[in-house]
Amino acid sequence: MTAREKIFADIKSALAPLPEREARPTVPHGVADPQWLSGEVDNLALFKKRAKAVGTLCFDTPGGCVSWLFEQQTKLVFLPEELASLDAKFSGVVKLTHAYTRAQVDEIDAALSMAHGAIAETGTIILTDASTPDRLAALAPWTHIAVVRKDTIHRSVADALAAMPDDPNIIWVTGPSKTADVEGILIQGVHGPGVQACLLI
Amino acid sequence: MPCIIAMAKQLIDTYVAELPPTVQKAVHQSTATTTQKRYQLLGDDFTDSDALRKLAGSIRQHTLEHLDTYLAQAEESLTTRGAKVHYAVTAADACATVTDILRTAGITKVVKSKSMVTEEIHLNDYLANHGIESVESDLGEYIVQIDGDHPSHIVRPIIHKTRGDIARSFEREGLGDYNDDPETITRRARKFMRGKYLEAGAGITGANFVTADTGRLVLVTNEGNSRFCLAPAKVHIALVGIEKVVPSDADLAVLLNLLGRSATGQQLTVYTEFINGPRRNDRPSGPEQMHVVFVDNRRTEVLASDCKEILRCIRCGACLNVCPVYRQASGHAYRSVYPGPVGAVLSPLLAGDKFKELADLPKASSLCGACNEVCPVDIPIPDLLLRLRHRAHEEHVPSPGTPPMAGFALLGSHPLIWRSAMTFGVAKDYLPLDKMPVPYLGSWLKTRTLPKWRGGKFRTWMKSRHGNNGGNGK
Repeated sequence: MTAREKIFADIKSALAPLPEREARPTVPHGVADPQWLSGEVDNLALFKKRAKAVGTLCFDTPGGCVSWLFEQQTKLVFLPEELASLDAKFSGVVKLTHAYTRAQVDEIDAALSMAHGAIAETGTIILTDASTPDRLAALAPWTHIAVVRKDTIHRSVADALAAMPDDPNIIWVTGPSKTADVEGILIQGVHGPGVQACLLI
Repeated sequence: MPCIIAMAKQLIDTYVAELPPTVQKAVHQSTATTTQKRYQLLGDDFTDSDALRKLAGSIRQHTLEHLDTYLAQAEESLTTRGAKVHYAVTAADACATVTDILRTAGITKVVKSKSMVTEEIHLNDYLANHGIESVESDLGEYIVQIDGDHPSHIVRPIIHKTRGDIARSFEREGLGDYNDDPETITRRARKFMRGKYLEAGAGITGANFVTADTGRLVLVTNEGNSRFCLAPAKVHIALVGIEKVVPSDADLAVLLNLLGRSATGQQLTVYTEFINGPRRNDRPSGPEQMHVVFVDNRRTEVLASDCKEILRCIRCGACLNVCPVYRQASGHAYRSVYPGPVGAVLSPLLAGDKFKELADLPKASSLCGACNEVCPVDIPIPDLLLRLRHRAHEEHVPSPGTPPMAGFALLGSHPLIWRSAMTFGVAKDYLPLDKMPVPYLGSWLKTRTLPKWRGGKFRTWMKSRHGNNGGNGK
């Protein structure tokens, strides 16, 4: 008997004596939406509010984003090919690279990437392999700026789950990387970005 | 808990007695704070969070009671998306499966994301014994690993350590001179772990959920370490308890909303990752191979028992945080991978023929019911504790720390003796009870004063009441 056969046989014999089995409950769409969500009328405004609450910076214009990067004395910014349209705004203000190589993991201290979408309810950014090809580039630099198109903001977690794209890796990012492992003290930037931002276009 | 220290009879009490007061205070503070945050957030966000907990419980119970169907469906969905599915009956089988996969791929270095099932099967020890370097990437788990320690909380593995302890460990491991600033500690771990991620051939993770219909493996972390384990590595191995399956994405809306709020008082955990197969050819990062090892390790025995509800658990740790016993005892007192109320149920069940060694855990509870009230999947933990107490009784497990109740049983089952005791009980007010040679009484009275005897009054009161109402008792 293979391990698979044994496990399935054991499950079946464990369940066999049950006189009846729990029916599948109806899970209405939005049943776990927070009660305040219905009062929010503007997805973009809600996203900004919730993003701020979880510690994600929001930039409304490329100009605002690049001046902030300049103020932060960012050394090297990774701007992927698919965001080449932002080149003109960024070049000359901060030092740019269009290649993300393993050798540069420690040098590149900020990276931009295209987001798949966002969730207003939780201030979450959605990244996928299709939108953000290099997982490492959106994770290793101290600052990560996700470029979010305003028309891709889902209203709720339930909405986002109902519209999951076909992608081997979808990640929801709700704020910067954090830990409270040491005496419960909150520290940002454990493995992933210490600064999580988004540029709304 | 001075009374417990004085009695020091149950095994858990000896741990409490030895726990440094600083640790006890830290555990109490942090669990109380998280409980409060959870309470606040659920109250702010939901008009009836209890209804949501019950719905989540029903989703999980339904899945368990149809586990053969959903597990087969999950296997099919995962396989369709290019993952290789393995099954492991025992902990040793699971470890051997992982080692085989790594050997076939020629991998000797792996990074791990936090996973309770890998704790349960002692994967790190097994890999080390087979010449494979395995590094825990979650900050807390890493510290547990370098200290040769064990996690003391499901979500906060080093809740029992101070920053000074950690600074000393880092100094010993050559991560820098003694520095107990939490930010410095975190930066040092970040720097060290970077190297490990980039040189690892495989990333090993657990899974918070696996959806049957879409074959998504869901992982939540706050640090981003699971994502890092799955960026440069060529192979992804996920160890998943067979009970982690949920029917569909729609169910995740309920479960994810409850998990973050229950575990850490967050609407959502920072990184919620949905893995749906190996990377596609044109992508520069992400594992080329994805293996999912479904682990039984006595879960089918639990499913066959009268405590199957415990398999609903989504490992949020809310029951630990609220438990008055856990708050005093911390995690190591439970002498197993799963501490707190969930551990008091799950650990003896997973112990197999070593049930007796952990049969005291279900007794280390006042049955106050707080664990059930906070449970996001509404597990009736107090009922399960009682069922396990019954099982221990049936199996004649000795019960240290429980005073003999034969005297009370005699009184309670003979009305005449009971009535006399009520009349003559007043004598107790004049006896030097603390000097009497009854050890349980002596230790109990060390920290308590008995009130004056008031027994026997109820009958008199009842009789007079009876009389006043013309004998019809209304």
